[in-house]
Amino acid sequence: MIRADGAGQTGADTPAAVTMRGITKRFPGVVALEHVTLEVERGELHAICGENGAGKSTLMKILSGVYQPDEGTLEIDGLPTRFANTRAAERAGIAIIHQELALVEDLPVAANVFLGRERRGRLGLVDDAGMAAECRALLESLECQVTPQTRTGSLRVGDQQLVEIAKALSLDARIVVMDEPTSALTEAESARLERTIARLRSRGTTILYISHKMDEVFRLADRITVLRDGRHVRTVRRADTTPQEVTGWMVGRDIAGHAFHEPRRRGPKLLEIRNLSLPWPEHPRGYRLQDVSLDLHAGEILGVAGLMGAGRTELLETIFGAVEPTWTGTILVAGKPVRFAHPREACAARIAMVTEDRKRLGLFPDLDVAGNVSLCSLAEALQGGLVSRAREEALVAGPLRDTGVKTPGPHASIMGLSGGNQQKCIIGRWLLTKPEILLLDDPTRGIDVGAKAELYTLIDRLCRAGLGVILTSSELPELLTLADRIVVLAEGRLTAEFARGDATEAKIMAAAMG
Amino acid sequence: MPQLDASSRGSFLLKPSEWALVLAIVAAVALTAVIDANHSYAFRPLESLRDIARNTALLGIFALGATVVIIAGGIDLSAGSMIALSGTVCATTMLALSPQAMLGFKPVGPAVVAVAMAASLLAGFLVGTLHTWLITAIRLPPFIATLATLVGLRSLARALCESSTAALTPTKSALINVADPVFKTIRDNVWIPVAVFGVLAFITWLILTRTVLGRHLHALGGNEQAARLAGIRTDNVKWFAYCFGAMTAALAGLFYVANESVAAPVNQGRGHELNAIAAAVVGGCSLTGGVGTVPGTVLGTIFLRVVIDAVSKIIKTGADVYEGLIVGIVVVIAVTFSQLGQMGRQGRRLLPGPLGLCAIPTLALLCGGIVAMTTGPRTGLAAGLAALVLLALVRAWENRAARAA
Repeated sequence: MIRADGAGQTGADTPAAVTMRGITKRFPGVVALEHVTLEVERGELHAICGENGAGKSTLMKILSGVYQPDEGTLEIDGLPTRFANTRAAERAGIAIIHQELALVEDLPVAANVFLGRERRGRLGLVDDAGMAAECRALLESLECQVTPQTRTGSLRVGDQQLVEIAKALSLDARIVVMDEPTSALTEAESARLERTIARLRSRGTTILYISHKMDEVFRLADRITVLRDGRHVRTVRRADTTPQEVTGWMVGRDIAGHAFHEPRRRGPKLLEIRNLSLPWPEHPRGYRLQDVSLDLHAGEILGVAGLMGAGRTELLETIFGAVEPTWTGTILVAGKPVRFAHPREACAARIAMVTEDRKRLGLFPDLDVAGNVSLCSLAEALQGGLVSRAREEALVAGPLRDTGVKTPGPHASIMGLSGGNQQKCIIGRWLLTKPEILLLDDPTRGIDVGAKAELYTLIDRLCRAGLGVILTSSELPELLTLADRIVVLAEGRLTAEFARGDATEAKIMAAAMG
Repeated sequence: MPQLDASSRGSFLLKPSEWALVLAIVAAVALTAVIDANHSYAFRPLESLRDIARNTALLGIFALGATVVIIAGGIDLSAGSMIALSGTVCATTMLALSPQAMLGFKPVGPAVVAVAMAASLLAGFLVGTLHTWLITAIRLPPFIATLATLVGLRSLARALCESSTAALTPTKSALINVADPVFKTIRDNVWIPVAVFGVLAFITWLILTRTVLGRHLHALGGNEQAARLAGIRTDNVKWFAYCFGAMTAALAGLFYVANESVAAPVNQGRGHELNAIAAAVVGGCSLTGGVGTVPGTVLGTIFLRVVIDAVSKIIKTGADVYEGLIVGIVVVIAVTFSQLGQMGRQGRRLLPGPLGLCAIPTLALLCGGIVAMTTGPRTGLAAGLAALVLLALVRAWENRAARAA
C-alpha cells in the first residue's frame, strides 16, 4: 500500500531522513505496532525508548527491510519506499546493527564484513586480500584491535559489535540503526562505542539508537521517541525533558509501586555452596566460575547480578545439574552434599529452574498450554497407566490459576500466548513439582511491563510461602525491587554481597565491573 | 496433549490434512477403477484389495517406526537394511537349530520358528541400541549414524548369510530358502500382516497420545534442550524411539521373508526406508520433529500404496519400475500442498528469477518424459508442451502480481 499524498510534510527545505507513518505490524496473536509514526531528521541521533515488547525492534526491522509493514508508509529522504528485503534497505543506505548479532561465527571477520557483497578481483575470483585490507582500515578507524582473518566466533561480544559497525560503514550507510548496542558491553567497550558514534555523526550519518538506558540516551540523543505497547507515546527534544519523565512515559505508570516493603521471614538454610569452580577448558580465562560461595535460606530471594557472560546462568545450571558435572567445590542441599548429573536428579531433590530464553530453552511449541504445564508431573495425570485428559486438565488448573495465566483454555496453543503468560506457564510447570528451591534465570526478559509487575507479585508470594528463590536479572532495578540479598558476579568470580538496604545500582555496577 | 491432537478432538477424528488424504485415496481408487483398461478393481476386487492390503501392511509396520523416530526429532535411514538383517537372522537361526529340516524344505517346528522370530526382534533391539549409543554417547548426527548402518547392516546380513550357509550347508549362498508352514500360512493369509499392522498402529497411537513416554517423545522432538532442562531423560527417550524404529523394521523383515519364502539379504527391503519416511511425511510428520500422528502415517502409507498400485494397473509395466518416481512425486506434491498456504501469505513465488526460468523447462521435460515413456511419444510431446505453456503462464502471472505490488 503506497500513499504518496505528501500530507504532513515537515515543510523544511530538506525532507526528513526517515518518515514512517501509520505503521502497523501484526504477528499471530499480537499487534506489535499500531499506527506508529516516526520522523527522523538528517544527521540527528534519534533515540527510541521503550520497555521490552514495546515494539522498538519491530519498528527498526521494518525500517531495515527485515519485516514488511501490514499498514503504513515509509519515506526515505521524502521518497516513498518499500523494502522487500534487507538488501533493498542496504542499497538505500540503511544498515542495522541487531541486538542479536547476525554474524556467521565460522567465517573470518573480513568475510563477515563483506558477506553477500564480496569484492571480486580479476578472473572473477574473490579478492580476499583487498577485502582484508579494507576491513583492517575500517576496524582501525573503530579502535578495534582485531585482525580481519580472525574467526568471528572467537571474538568478544564487544568486538563482534564493532564488526557489525564496520559492515555498516563498508556499506556507506547514511542511516545506521543500533538496537541496544551496549547491553552486552563493558564500560570500556561502551565508551569506545560512544567515540565511534561521535565519529559517525561527524560524517553526517543519521543514527537511530534503541535503548532503555536513560543515562546513555540523555548523553547521546538529540531527540527521543517513546514507544509503549506498540504505540507511539511521544517524541521530544532531549533538552525539553528529563529521564524521570521519559521513564514514566515508557512504563505508563509509577514504577515505584513495585516495592515489597514488608520484610520476609527467613527460614532454615536450604542450599549452601562452598568454593564452587566450573572449568572452561577451551577459553583463555580457563573457568566459567571460580571459587563461588553462597547460601540460600527458605523464604528469601537471593539476587545474582552480573554483566552478560559473568556466569549467572552457569551458576544456576551447575546447581541444577544441567552442565557436565566437572565442577569442584561443595554444593549442599538441605545439609547433604549433592552432585547432580542430570536435571532429573535436581528435580528429585526439589529444585526447579526456569531457564533464560523461553523460546529456546523452555517452551515446547508443538504441545498445548496444558501439555507445557503438566510436562514435569504428567505421571500424576495417569489413570490405569494412560494419560487422562480430564486428570491432566484438573492437574494444570491449579497452577494456571495460581500464576494468573490468561489463556483461551488449557488446550490453546502455547505460541499464541503473550511472553508474560508463557513465562507464567513455565513457572506453573515447575510449581507442580513442589519445589523447595526455585532458580529463576532472568525470568522477565522480553516481557511487557504489566506482566512484569504480575510476575514480581507472584515471585514475592512464592517466596513468602516458604520457597528459597535465586533470581538473576539483566535489569538491576528488578533485583533491587525483589531481592533480600544481592551477590555480584564478575567474570565468574563472586565480587560482592549486599543486603537489601545497602545495595545501590552504582555499588552493584562497580562490583560487576570487577 | 499435543496441540494437533487437541484440534482434531472436536467432531472430526482426523485433522483437515488427514481428511484431505482420505479424499485423495478415494479419488485415486476411483480414477484407477475408471481408467484401468482391464477394470481389475471391478472384476477382481478381492484380489486387488489383497494386493494393496498386503503391501500397505508391510510398509506401514515400519513406517510407524519411522514416525516415532521422526516425532522424536531423529531420522532412521537404516530400516531397509534392518529388514534384510532381520530376515537373515531369522533364517540363519532356523538353519542353525534345525539344519536337516531347512535343507529338506520340511517344517522346522513352531518352537524353532518362535526362537528365530525372537532372535530377529532381538537383533532389532540391538541395532536400535547401537543407533542410540552412536547418537548420544559418540554424538553422531542421527543422519550419519543411520547412514552408516544403512550400508553396514546389509553387508553384515550378507556376510552372516554366506558364512552360515558355508558352515551349515553344502554350498555357500547369498540366500536361504524358508519353507516352514508357519511362513506359508503368513504368506497365504493377508489378514495376518494387516492385523499385525492394525494392532501395532493402535499401540503406537496409544503410546504417542496417551502415555508419559509419548508426551516426552513429542517434547524431545519439539525442543530437545528444553526437554532435558525439564528433567526428561532425553537419552532414554531416544533409546526407545530408535529401538522402536529398528524393531518394527525387524518385524517387517519377517513378513518379507514369509512373502518371498526366502531370506535374501542382498535385495530384500532395499531402499524401502525411504518409502517409510515418505509415508510418514505424506501423513504430516515434520522432519524437524515434534509433529506427526499415527492416523496420518497410516493414511500416508495407504495413499502411497494405492497410487503405486494405480500406476501399475494403468501403465501395466512392472510397478517397481515407476515406484521410486511415484514416491518422489507424491512426497513433493503432498508437502507442497501443506506449504502452499504459507507461500501465498508470505508473498513467496513459485518460479522466482533465473532459477524459476530454468525450472520451467526442467519440469516440462520431466513431465513430458514420464508421459512419453508410459503412453507414447506423441502424448509425451503434448504433455511436455502443455506443461511448458502452463508454467510459463504461472510465471507471467507471478511477474504481473509482483509488479502490481
